[in-house]
Amino acid sequence: MPCRNLVVIGVSTGGPLTLREIFLRLTPLNAAILVVLHIAPPMDARIAKGLDAVSAMPVALAQHGEYLASGQVYLAPGGFHLRLDPQYRVELVRGERVNYVQPSVDVTMSSLHRQLHGILVGAVLTGMGKDGAEGIRHVKRVGGITIAQDQKTSTIYGMPKAAAQTGAVDFVLSPAQIADKLTQLIPPLA
Amino acid sequence: MAKQVMIVDDNRYVRDSVEIICQGENLGVVTATSGAECLQELEAGFRGVILMDVMMPEMDGWDTIRAMIERKLYPGNVIVMLTGMGEPDTKMDGVQEYVTDYMTKPFNPEELVESLRYYLALVDELQ
Repeated sequence: MPCRNLVVIGVSTGGPLTLREIFLRLTPLNAAILVVLHIAPPMDARIAKGLDAVSAMPVALAQHGEYLASGQVYLAPGGFHLRLDPQYRVELVRGERVNYVQPSVDVTMSSLHRQLHGILVGAVLTGMGKDGAEGIRHVKRVGGITIAQDQKTSTIYGMPKAAAQTGAVDFVLSPAQIADKLTQLIPPLA
Repeated sequence: MAKQVMIVDDNRYVRDSVEIICQGENLGVVTATSGAECLQELEAGFRGVILMDVMMPEMDGWDTIRAMIERKLYPGNVIVMLTGMGEPDTKMDGVQEYVTDYMTKPFNPEELVESLRYYLALVDELQ
């Protein structure tokens, strides 16, 4: 089922265990969830498999050319930037690192378009640096709901802090609260 | 017992602490006092979870990771950075995707063990 609602999560150092905490708690949602984690292959596939084992929604690496589907979790593969077209079709591109990383959260979030229908949520979680700050500003600009992880639960507060400092973040939450917030914002998968 | 965890730290107290914690959990552990020793262990075939100190003389943790990548010694390993600093410096630029987690010293033994078990499961998948 092509997705109408989309959640994009950007995360880096400390990400695997934080994502595990969120997906352990999250019930199936009527949305596609795209995770952009700063990770290199072959760890990316292993992280996806590890999350799949605890998630109520299937988790897999995003493939070039596929359309995101509701009720699925996608992990951006290492070594590429991931962009989405207006129909939420995945484009994997090689190129220069952005914010010193690839995949970059800013690249993915900045590729999003304003949606006439559906819910868009952008979240920036634990990580070094400031990747995701420009992305979260863009998500807000195109009508999305924005979340940053709180300082107390962040392994590294760099990325969530930079996102919050943009002034474009709606909610500052712990991983458990992020799971609960997503459940409030997005209808369950039918 | 197979070596599953490598602690790379120039501080003997940290190395001993990790070794004791791992032994108490029946996890095989190898110690390295420098980035160069870490690379030697990897060349000798170590694959597992590497707890890497950031601040070390001569070759620091970031430079050690760069050397791992150049020598193709990264695959099969999970790297967790250890540091006493509040925030890492900018030397991580370009190697961030190779670091899976980050712990500040002194670390909580229970959290360390929980993280090690999770990452060792990932390492098993990589073999």
